Amino acid sequence: MRQPFEPRSLRRTILGMAYYGSSVHIACAFSIVEILAVLYGKHLRYPDGRPDHPSRDYLILSKGHGVMAQYACLLEMGWIAPHELTNYYKDGTRLYGLAEAWIPGVEVTSGSLGHGLSIGAGLALAAKRHATEQMCYAVVGDGETNEGSVWEALQFAAQQRLDNLIVIVDKNDFQAMGRTADILAPGDMVAKFAAFGFDTMLVDGHDQDALHAALSTFKMRKNGQPKGIIAKTVKGRGVSFMENSNLWHYTRLDATAFAAALGELGPAGE
Amino acid sequence: MRATLSRLLIEAAEADARVMILTCDHGYALFDEFRKRRPEQFLNCGIAEQNMVGVAAGLAKAGFRPVVYGLAAFVPIRVLEQIKLDVCHGKLPVIFLGDGAGLVYSTLGASHQCFEDVAALRALPDISIFSPADRFELMWSFSRARSSNGPSYIRLGKADLGDIHSEPLAADFDDCLYPVVKGSSTHLCFAAGAMVSIAKRAIDKSGLSYDLYSVPNLTINPKHIVRLCGGREKILVVEEHSRHGGLGSLVAEAIAGKVVCRFEIMGTQHSFTKECGSYQHLLAQHGLDVESVQKML
Repeated sequence: MRQPFEPRSLRRTILGMAYYGSSVHIACAFSIVEILAVLYGKHLRYPDGRPDHPSRDYLILSKGHGVMAQYACLLEMGWIAPHELTNYYKDGTRLYGLAEAWIPGVEVTSGSLGHGLSIGAGLALAAKRHATEQMCYAVVGDGETNEGSVWEALQFAAQQRLDNLIVIVDKNDFQAMGRTADILAPGDMVAKFAAFGFDTMLVDGHDQDALHAALSTFKMRKNGQPKGIIAKTVKGRGVSFMENSNLWHYTRLDATAFAAALGELGPAGE
Repeated sequence: MRATLSRLLIEAAEADARVMILTCDHGYALFDEFRKRRPEQFLNCGIAEQNMVGVAAGLAKAGFRPVVYGLAAFVPIRVLEQIKLDVCHGKLPVIFLGDGAGLVYSTLGASHQCFEDVAALRALPDISIFSPADRFELMWSFSRARSSNGPSYIRLGKADLGDIHSEPLAADFDDCLYPVVKGSSTHLCFAAGAMVSIAKRAIDKSGLSYDLYSVPNLTINPKHIVRLCGGREKILVVEEHSRHGGLGSLVAEAIAGKVVCRFEIMGTQHSFTKECGSYQHLLAQHGLDVESVQKML
């Protein structure tokens, strides 16, 4: 039987959506596939399988540009239907190219960057005030950290001792127009997060075991510090001609590229 | 009005544990009593307005009823996008209090003066906008905002020019817009906030017959405006806000194509304030003092 949230299957779903919808942002969805696979597969709790359950854990996709990776997971959760992927971008459908909180399982409307983390901090604070065990996971792009509001949110999370907040930075080293190092160099992200009062780890963002271990460790560590996982990823991960090529932030798939990419990924997981 | 605001916030917090006040390091004296009595429901988010609004959205999603306080120049203006996407898009029950709107920070200049808040918010879906003229209208506005299940903005002028009404407003005030001055079937003046008091003084001084209505609800159903405008010869709108997008625009949009009359909007000049000075001096500079309004009656 096929495993749920298997990265190769998720990437095939993303490719299909991108092809059928002629949409962009493939590479920035590919870089967070393992992160979301581990979160959905092993960590996020949705009582009764309900995306709106008041006691759920929160997944904040602050980098809304990676939303196709989340749609692929929501499909496996059963919250969006298979035909919505093949109908992607068709007139009258509900799945946009960026995250909209109207979709079951999508917590924040994102795409304008630097919004999600603050909302996540508010949710984590609410969980603290309600004395629940809820966790809040926020996936933030490294390009997104150009936004000053991200740093406002980090300060707030540390001040409020939100140890139920785990920020995962998708450090794929690219943003829309090039390498982050050439635009607003993020420098040592681990040191920066630590300086902001975060308990921080550097992890291979495509190693599911390492991600799972980091998340498990951090969930247990109730030390009054918010948590930061700097996940080293590859933009476009999984398809050789998309990896570390910023063209695939914007390029749409034609039939040839679609077939070539599917071929590289191989058949859906066993 | 400020004592009333302080009392309303404490009463709300004591009645409802979900109420949480968020401020961005503003409102020192205003919250003194609140902080003493309900410290766990008070959150100073620091000088970081964008984060504050996002945090309020997260709290509201999880069942809290946040009241977000700031100077109007910052809340809503600096955080307009957070209000739009984080709060309005999800129709979350967050109340924004924009203090010091208009010209009251007369000596502090462009950074603290704010003539554009209502125009900015009127273009957003699903947010209720209030501009109370006195403490009774503030009580009514706050009550309306609290009973709403969506976002609200309450514009506060800080220039307390005294009571307009003599008693608390009826709960159905929104539907009846009763007059502050009643005296004419042909001449009508609408005003909001501190300008209600200014317009009232101008009408009193002029000896002219006028109907004067305060409009504390700037998202009122336009039919209530239209109903008052039929058969008028002259309608004047006075607001401590840009003439573009505020109460004047609301009235103009409501009556366009329905009423034929002389129509004037008095608002701030379409320019930044150039001179430092008292509130009264700046009102005169912008043509919003009693004498200027009297000339336009």
